[in-house]
Parts: sequence; structure tokens; C-alpha cells
Amino acid sequence: MGALSRWLRSDWAGPLFIVVVGGGAIAVLRPSFLSPFNIEILLLAIATNTLIALSQMVIIGIGQMNLSVGGIGGLAAISFAGMMQIWGLPPMLAASAALAIGILCGILNGALVARTGISAFVITLATLSIFKGVNLGITRAQPFYGVPESVKAFGNTTFIHPVPWLILPTVLVAALVWYILNRQPFGRYMLAVGGNASAAELSGISVFAAIVRAHALSGFLAALAGVMLVARLGLGQPTIGDDWLILSFAAPMIGGVVLAGGHVSVVGTVLGVTIVAIITQALVLFEIDPFLVQVALGFLILWAVIINQIRAVRMQRSLRRIA
Amino acid sequence: MTTDDVLLASNVSKSFPGVKALSDVSIRLARGSIHALLGENGAGKSTLIKIITGVYRPNSGTLTLDGAPLHFNGPRDAIAAGVGVVHQERNLIPRFSVGENIMLDRLGGGFLRPIDYDNVHAQAKDWLDLLGLDLDSRTTVSRLSVAKMQMVEIAKALSLRSRVLLLDEPSASLTPHETVALFALLKKLRNDGVTIVFVSHKLEEVQEICDTVTVLRDGRNACDSRSMSGLARQDLVRLMIGRSEQIPDWRTRDESHAAPVLELRDLATEFGHSGINLTLHKTEILGLYGLVGAGRTELAKCVLGLSRVTTGALLIDGQKAVIGSVAEALTRYRMGYVSEDRKQEGLILMHSVLDNTGITIWKRVAGKLGLLTDRAVRTVVAPLIEKLDVRTPSLRQIVANLSGGNQQKVSLVKWLAAGVRILIVDEPTVGIDIRTKAYIHELLRGISEEGTSILLITSDMPEMITLADRIAVMDGYRIKGAITNDRDYERMSREIMGLIHD
Repeated sequence: MGALSRWLRSDWAGPLFIVVVGGGAIAVLRPSFLSPFNIEILLLAIATNTLIALSQMVIIGIGQMNLSVGGIGGLAAISFAGMMQIWGLPPMLAASAALAIGILCGILNGALVARTGISAFVITLATLSIFKGVNLGITRAQPFYGVPESVKAFGNTTFIHPVPWLILPTVLVAALVWYILNRQPFGRYMLAVGGNASAAELSGISVFAAIVRAHALSGFLAALAGVMLVARLGLGQPTIGDDWLILSFAAPMIGGVVLAGGHVSVVGTVLGVTIVAIITQALVLFEIDPFLVQVALGFLILWAVIINQIRAVRMQRSLRRIA
Repeated sequence: MTTDDVLLASNVSKSFPGVKALSDVSIRLARGSIHALLGENGAGKSTLIKIITGVYRPNSGTLTLDGAPLHFNGPRDAIAAGVGVVHQERNLIPRFSVGENIMLDRLGGGFLRPIDYDNVHAQAKDWLDLLGLDLDSRTTVSRLSVAKMQMVEIAKALSLRSRVLLLDEPSASLTPHETVALFALLKKLRNDGVTIVFVSHKLEEVQEICDTVTVLRDGRNACDSRSMSGLARQDLVRLMIGRSEQIPDWRTRDESHAAPVLELRDLATEFGHSGINLTLHKTEILGLYGLVGAGRTELAKCVLGLSRVTTGALLIDGQKAVIGSVAEALTRYRMGYVSEDRKQEGLILMHSVLDNTGITIWKRVAGKLGLLTDRAVRTVVAPLIEKLDVRTPSLRQIVANLSGGNQQKVSLVKWLAAGVRILIVDEPTVGIDIRTKAYIHELLRGISEEGTSILLITSDMPEMITLADRIAVMDGYRIKGAITNDRDYERMSREIMGLIHD
């Protein structure tokens, strides 16, 4: 197998092709697509959405799903803003506390799933409701406005025009997630559990620890996305997280992540997020009804899962030929 | 016990609720040998394997390794003691590389120290080389053939320093060529002093590579662990199938003059059956005998429309029939199938007795608006449940809570309620105690006398001779012949074995 064909077979060759060709086509038809302002908007969307997608991707990797990604992100967001407004905590401290809340929420999810053996779908559906309820109880559905100017500046300025500051944490964290899942034993164990839990257990891996750690990581990523959205919006909106669910599944699936677990791709997921962002932008640039974004996203998910299915079937077939 | 014995299990017994799976079973494994563990389905092989590998704990009896007593609290203990197993189902992480799978619990690396994959692959390669496997340890496991995956599992088991290696039907999914490679590997391991337990239904293979053998039958030793020398294939078959139980003193029937209901003419299927000719007459019980793997269940699935018939004809009541689905088999030809795997295929365990027995007739008894009432279903199934003596506290009881025998009766009620004319019954009494077994035999005989034609698939020789009017013998996906059952156990079993071995 040559380098080129191996490259073409990788999970992210397809999404990358779409990004390049789709982005190029839009740029030709609407040159303003490549304007610095537009690129900044695009990067801002990618910055937070990547974290949301990775938060879900980690859980898909262990063969589960996390419906409470938005619940955790929202709770972390209002905690961050609330601690700064009410207690006057410095931003760094408030952000750390908000991230810790996210990790704790994740540990709660993971421990419940691993201990009870009840499906993560049901557990996280319940905790989603709990996290959202706590959120509304604290905020009374009113935003926290007391966000310091330094935080707002971090969320709304660029460090090299047109690259926004917000992209920095995302790049660092995405690299960290890649490192954990590919070069750290506990990350490999998560994927091993997702690939074949009984085989992992028979090899002496603690399935309980792997599940809890994956959920803790997922909680951290969701919380970070929430904190960054507060910086970008300049206020602690209680509704942060409400619309994350579809995106969180769409981007990893477009990026070639196997829903059954055991195989994820950080690069593919980032490209999936990019595709969604480009489509959203394109609809604006072509002055198409923005509500069609949802419809387009739906079709994109269908397309992605069908492609994945075809690839799986093809692989089975080529295996049978060898056998 | 000689010094050459590595692992010894003595008088091991194991009971599950309602079934005694093993009683006083012993097995003796010598160092550097390949030991065959034989027995038909339900003989207790897998229970014994699970005891030796620490999955189950025996109710009584002892295990010793090198003379020291063993107490396993789980599979990890067995691995630590040097007892490795390659299960029938694959136990690898599909998207991981070969090397990472072999070294999975010894990847190294730490908090800020990444996994050193060069080191992982170097170590994995040592094990692959030791087995003489020409395999790149960086290949993803999901890209390997089943045979290669099996080799990787063996490499993994050996890398855990296994001195006793159990292989559960290793050649079941291998091509002849791959099997040759596997056997060469096993012989090499044996010569290096590893003890191998080989479970297989393919007796030719067993004779080819095994040095010693233990045969189980009905949860007991049909023979003690002994040398293979002097045992011909018929001897093994006789040990596996066993001698007569009491055959009930029923009238011999000959229904072959009755009208044919189901006929197969020169049938070939996608599984590889060819030239299958069978005729099932009205009110007849036609037995289809064969060892496990002979292709009987597969043939039933083709008749039912679950898998494809490639050439030849299938006739129902003398009319050519093409059955595309089980639904068509039921509604159009009134044909039913009682699966050998009642837990997976036969019943919906979490549903009630009423729902399980009524599922075949919902469409028929639904009211004008498609409205289905429990009462309508109950009117049909309640008398049958009573007639078959299903022991259940109520029709609302969940089927999973019933005993195996009663579950099997529920499967039968389901098809009787549907009013089938042809019933294919596959291993109806596997895992069922002797009394219920006798009762189910009477039921099947009764059903056939009331006009249902039954195709009976069983590997249980006494059951076959008890029930069948005629017996067709299948081996290697072909019909080897058919005989009329005169209910003389000695003569019948000799003739059947003769047909398998000709």
C-alpha cells in the first residue's frame, strides 16, 4: 500500500477534500468568504465547537454517548460568570473552578454508568436534566452580566489578525486530547474498552477506570467550551449549551468516528467542525434562510453515516477476499 | 498422577439452576501434548473449559497445576497461573495494531512519558517470530483474516507465559490451508513443552494432531483421559454418542404412504449443500441426524427462507414453492421453526408468556380496526398452554423466569397456536432435564398424530430413535442415506453410524 493510497484511506481524507474544495468553491463565488472579518468569525465558531465535538467524541470512543454535554457546558458557563460577578473571583480562579465543576459532572456520569451498568444514554439523559435544572435554579433564567473586561477582550480580540485569541486554548487542548488517546496508556485503554470491552477486561484493563476517566475528560472539554463562550458573548447566558447536542454528534461522525466505539479521530473531528462552520457561513453569504442550517446539518449527518457504513461493508468484503 | 501431568481436574461437578452440567468429571493433561476434548453439544465441554480458565468455580472437585491445588477467583487468576485460552469469539481490539493487542496490558508509558511504540512492536515481534508468523506487528487487527487473528490471539496468550493453552474450536472458521498452518504451529508449541487442549467437532483433525483425548457425554466422562492410539473414528463417535437410554415402547409407525407435504429435490444452497433429496409426509416425523457441523440447521434455515436456495426445487403439497422470508413460510405455507437456540432466536425472554405465545397469531386475531386484545390472544393460547402443561404462575410471567423445559414448551405453544402444518424442530431438548425431555417427546409424537408433519433435527441418538419414523443422515452438507426406524437401538445406531462413515 503506497503512501498516497494509505493517506486517501485515512478517516480525514474525505472531510479534508470537502473543506478544500467546498471552501475554494465558495471563495470563488463569494470572494468576501476569505475576508479577514469572515475568517475571524469562522475561527471563533471552530474554537468553541471543536471542544464541544471532542467532548462527545471521547465518549463515542468508549462506545457510549453523552447527552449531557450541553448541560455540563451550560453549568460551567454560568458558574464561571456567577463566581466573577457575585463573589468577585479573579477570572483565572473562576475559570479553574468552572472546569473542576465540569470534571466532577463527568465523573458523576462515568461512575453512574460504570457502576450501575445502565446505558449511558439513560444516565446522561437524567443528568442533563439535573445539570440544566441546577443551572436554572442558580440563574433564575437571567444571565450574569458581571463579566470583567479582560475576559471579554480575550473572547473578542485577535492576537495575530485575523486569528482570535480563543483559538489558542482549542489548539492546545485538541493536541492534548490527541496525545492522550494515542500516546498515553489510559487513553489507549479507553479506546480498547470501546473496541471490545470484554477483551480489554480479560487483558487486565480496569473497565471502570477507563469509563470514569473518559467521562471526566468529556466533562472538562464541555466545561472549557462553556467558559470560552462566556468570554466570547461577554455574559453568562443560562441558555449556553442548549443547542450543542446535534453538533456534538455531527462533527465526529462527519470526521469518520465509528459510533460503535473504539475508533476516533481528532483531526477528522476538527475537520467535521470546520465543514459545519463553512456551511453555516455559506448559507449566510448566499443569503439563504439561516434556519436551513439545521436541515443542511441533518443531511450532512446522514451522508456521513452512510459513507461510514459503505466503508465498513467494503472493508468486510476485502477481508473476506483475503480469508 | 505421573510427573508428566501438568494440569489435573478430578471429580469436578458443576450445577446450574435446574441442570447438572458436570458430574464427577476428570481430565488429565500431560506436559507437551495436544489433548482433544470431545463431546456433542451440551456434553459439558464449555463448562469444563470455563472451570479450568477460572470463569466458573466448581461446586465440588479439585484442580491441580504441577501438583499444587488451584483456586481461581476469575480469569485473571488463571492467566497468572499460566492457563491461557483462545475463545471461539474473537477477543482482540479490532482497531488496534497487532503489536498493541499482544502487549495491551504492558504498554508502558506514564503521565508525561508517551507510550514507546517502537519498544511495544519490538517485543510483540519477538512473540510473532517465536511462532514463525510472518506478520507486521503494526498492521491493524481488523485488516487481518480470521485465521491471522487467531494466530495473534495465540501469540498474545503465549506472551502471558501460558503453559496450558486451551483452544475452543480453533479451526471452525478456517480454510483447509489455514488449518494446516495452525496445526504446524500447534505441533511446534507442543514440542516446546506447551500443553494444548483442542476442542473441535472435526474428528479428522482431532485424529491428525491430538496425542490424548477425553470424551464427555451428558456431563460425565465417556472415557477417562487416554492416549489417542488405538482409537478409530468410529470409536470416538461411539464414545460421543453413547449407548442406549431406554427407548419408550411405542408403536413403530410408517407414514411414508401418506401424501408428501414437504419435498426437497436436488436442492443446493448458499451454504454448500448439494443434491439434497428429502420427503416429509403428512403426520410423519422425519429425523435429520448428523454430527454438529453437518449442515442440518443451515438446511432448515434455507427451507424457511432465511438463507438462499441456489438450485433445485422445494415442493409443498406437490406444488413448487419459493419461500422468501420466514413470514411467508408461516402465513402462506404454515411452516414453523423451533430454534435450537431458544434464548437467542426462539423467545423474547423479557416478554410475558402471553406475548411470546401469541406473537405468531397477533395478525390473525386482531379485531376489525387492527385492535389486539389480550382476551383474543388468551382464547387461542390458554388451552394450548394447559395442554402442554407449561408450568407458569400466570400468563403474565416473564419467560426468562421459567425453566429451560418450560421455555421450550412455550416455543412449541407459539407454533401450535399458529396452526402450523409443518414444524421444524431443532435440538428440542438441549439442556433440559430427563423428565421434561420425555414429556416433550410425548408432546411431539402427539402433535404429529394430530396431523402436523415434523422435521426433527437432533444429535441426540436416543431422542432420534425415540421419535423419528424415518431417519435421514447428513454429513458434510449431503444426505448420506435414509433408513426406516424400527426402534431397535443397537441396529439403528449401527446403521446410522455406517451411513456417516461410508
